[in-house]
Amino acid sequence: MAQDASPDFFGATFAIEDEDHTLANTLRFFLNKNPRVYFVGYSMPHPTEEIVNIRVQTTGEVSAHQALRDACEDVKDVAQHIASTFQNAVAEFRAQNPVTK
Amino acid sequence: MYTGITAKRLAYDRKPVVEVRKLTFDYAEFILKDTDISMANALRRVIIAEVPTIAIDLVEIENNTTVLNDEFLAHRLGLIPLRSEKAEQMHRPFEVATGDEVTDIHFSLNISCTSDSTQYVTSDDLVIDPDHPEVVPINYHDASGEKPIVIVKMRKGQELRLRAIARKGVGKDHAKWIPVATATYHIMPEIHINEALLDELTEVEIDNVENYRYDGDVLAKAEELGKPGVISIRQKTDEFIFRVESTGVLAAEAIVMKAVDLLLARINTLAQAGSTNFALYSSSATGVSLVLFNESCMAHGRTLHEIPLDKDANRTGHVWHIMLPLLNTDLLY
Repeated sequence: MAQDASPDFFGATFAIEDEDHTLANTLRFFLNKNPRVYFVGYSMPHPTEEIVNIRVQTTGEVSAHQALRDACEDVKDVAQHIASTFQNAVAEFRAQNPVTK
Repeated sequence: MYTGITAKRLAYDRKPVVEVRKLTFDYAEFILKDTDISMANALRRVIIAEVPTIAIDLVEIENNTTVLNDEFLAHRLGLIPLRSEKAEQMHRPFEVATGDEVTDIHFSLNISCTSDSTQYVTSDDLVIDPDHPEVVPINYHDASGEKPIVIVKMRKGQELRLRAIARKGVGKDHAKWIPVATATYHIMPEIHINEALLDELTEVEIDNVENYRYDGDVLAKAEELGKPGVISIRQKTDEFIFRVESTGVLAAEAIVMKAVDLLLARINTLAQAGSTNFALYSSSATGVSLVLFNESCMAHGRTLHEIPLDKDANRTGHVWHIMLPLLNTDLLY
């Protein structure tokens, strides 16, 4: 990941390699939810090149890097939660509908 | 992880809920609630493009006198769905580290037509790899009568002899490795009927909420009857109905679980990117400190940071290590 500023800036564009809309859009959403971020957006410079630019601008209470890291943690939490919830839901479904084949 | 200085993370109480509605080996239908559409889309994208499966990737044709040419046959062979539970333990050729990993699974086909009637060469005729007997085409010699996949038809005198190698891959590289026929989601609709206005009409019933998701007809009819406010259909933008239909290569629930794991792995990799890992091998050291400084500090004989490494957390065997996020590129150590 390359950044265009040293660690303590409040506005930064992160160019992330080997990523696409899958992660970029999700991060953008969670960054938007952060009240300390007043602007976030992402773009893909060219579809054949697997690079996304994520622009984050914060109110100054957190650095842009910290905001991005927090969004990563949020995505991790949600994904982990989905994993366990899905497994429980499958087990529950199986319990209620025993296999008849 | 990140000590002291950084601001406290705000917690967003997004605890998604999953409710399974239908589940068979190759079809899973579930409702995902209390999460954003970008998460649902991320899941869909990973299911389609990044869950690894096994498919024939290399075909060596020894003799082909059928009506289909070599590359046509190779293409068809690649598209045959192969049971891919083994994909977890396989490696892709560029991932080989020790040389012991399984990358290739060998198949062969040897059919010639000797009878007067048309011979169908099917996926049942593929000879599987004795070292990996669990990797078979779907419905391979299926006892319950499911028909195999026709590769080519031959007449008397035609022959087909070939060897094929199957490899692990993902949908991103070629569509033959996509594990699902479809993976879709749509937003659960919410229908409101204005009771007061409803009483002025004769019976209106909702059969099935989902059928009416974009039902302009119902709204048009309501207008026609002179009561445009009776029914309003809205979208619950945080509730999705997911339908995952597997081709048979993996169980539908296994696909979804693997997709979530892959999504987690990716976000973990990203969270660590931009961090630098320092490692030092020493079999006799009792304590190690990482000292960071830059050029100007050297001139003055000072240091910027001195970080003592913890004996338990920062040491694995004889290697002392620490990962630090986002350092200035002019630092020395």
